[in-house]
Amino acid sequence: MDSETSIGGPNGRFLSTQASLLEAVAAGLTGEALDQVIALYWKPVYRYIRVKFHKDNEDAKDLTQSFFAAALERDFLERFDPAKSSFRTYLRMAVARFAASQHAAANRLKRGGDVAFEPVEDQMASTESPEQVFEREWQRQLFSLALDDLRGHCEECGKQLHFRIFEAYDLAPGERPSYAALAAHHEIAETAVTNHLAWARRTLRALVDQRLRGVTSGERELRQEMRRVWM
Amino acid sequence: MDVSDSVLDHLRHVAALPDLTATHYELEGEIGRGGMGVVYAALDRQLGRRAALKVLDSALAGEARIIAQLEHPAIVPVYESGVLPDGRVFYAMKLVAGARLDRYAAASPSLAEALRVFRRVGEALAFAHSRGVIHRDLKPQNVMVGEFGEVYVMDWGVETVAGTPAFRAPDTRLDRRSDIYALGAVLQFLLPVSAPPALSAIAGKAMKADPAARYPDVQSLLADIERFQEGLAVEAWREPVWHRLRRFGSRNAVLLWLLAAYASVKFLLFFLRTL
Repeated sequence: MDSETSIGGPNGRFLSTQASLLEAVAAGLTGEALDQVIALYWKPVYRYIRVKFHKDNEDAKDLTQSFFAAALERDFLERFDPAKSSFRTYLRMAVARFAASQHAAANRLKRGGDVAFEPVEDQMASTESPEQVFEREWQRQLFSLALDDLRGHCEECGKQLHFRIFEAYDLAPGERPSYAALAAHHEIAETAVTNHLAWARRTLRALVDQRLRGVTSGERELRQEMRRVWM
Repeated sequence: MDVSDSVLDHLRHVAALPDLTATHYELEGEIGRGGMGVVYAALDRQLGRRAALKVLDSALAGEARIIAQLEHPAIVPVYESGVLPDGRVFYAMKLVAGARLDRYAAASPSLAEALRVFRRVGEALAFAHSRGVIHRDLKPQNVMVGEFGEVYVMDWGVETVAGTPAFRAPDTRLDRRSDIYALGAVLQFLLPVSAPPALSAIAGKAMKADPAARYPDVQSLLADIERFQEGLAVEAWREPVWHRLRRFGSRNAVLLWLLAAYASVKFLLFFLRTL
């Protein structure tokens, strides 16, 4: 598979009093709501298209871009009915339909109607279904955005040390340092390390939930998505 | 910020851990999770004893109140409840040492023991129904058998739970009859393959697709179990004549043996007199 795309859609602004998706649409803030959606879903959609339709990096990027452009034009958010599905499922199914029709059209042009998926070796080797890949990328992007929010929040309220300790411990790619080592490195008590970590984790959780609120229809769907992330 | 799979899994885990710094509990570790909450073992520093802490979404704060109202020997007692800094609620309850019913049943207890446990489950359910509480998700995984043989029914009355497939009634609206269906499914789960047909029939009646065809209440079901244990005919099964005779025979074995002995002696005396 090609290396990760650097395109990630707009890094949606974190709103301290986040409105739900439907509240934002009802208030005429469709553009802002869609920004939140694109910030969270661009990468999952891109990965889903790559795995499900065996597209290369550039084709997958183009299709993803086209999908969101079409969503902007076609009242995509307004047509979402929370009684029928979660927004996540609604979006994934819309992507599947859109990408399938685009893929078929492209193949008709190329081969006079034959639809043949081109195998991509590392994708074929994956044991995850496209839906699982989508779900995983959705969670990854959700946390990625919330971590950016957390860093910004820490800078805003002078808690850079909290973030550095959190980064050194919870975001460590390999073996985690001990609390004692962190305490010695930052010249603080070990209890301060655990308190800073507890604060950062609690704030991260709140920020993840805030992000979810912006891409769900209301309280019920938000609770369901929170369970999906945290359970 | 890029997040690897291992960091993502770690963050999902640690950010979900309850922050107990403002409480008198110290987190020990996760001991179970369901659709609605996670249960942790914790040390109560004030009392120096271990407890189970169930952490729930704030929307489910009513669950602790529901369980706290159910004071019954087969329902886990709630010690207290509270709110975490992130808004989630928790309640502390007795930490039961023992085995979940599904694991307990895997050790093939005797039929009498299985029925003893089942009756305790039924009694807890009957009590809850008398207080207007339905379980909604009764299954072996929600029953604990303690090390002294005590039985506890757990995970009560969460409003949004719709049951677990193998134990869920096909009802559109969950009520007491749905619990009776689940209780029948628990009975069926506990019964061995060679279970007496009367017991299978009791489970079958409790699990009828039509709620009106099930037992009207838990007491009726338990009464049928009691009738079986006393060797009487059960309501759920119209037994064949041969089976009725056999049951009569086993219930009145002593009387029949005495009658047989009396008849033998009489016959012997008659035979000797004719010599």
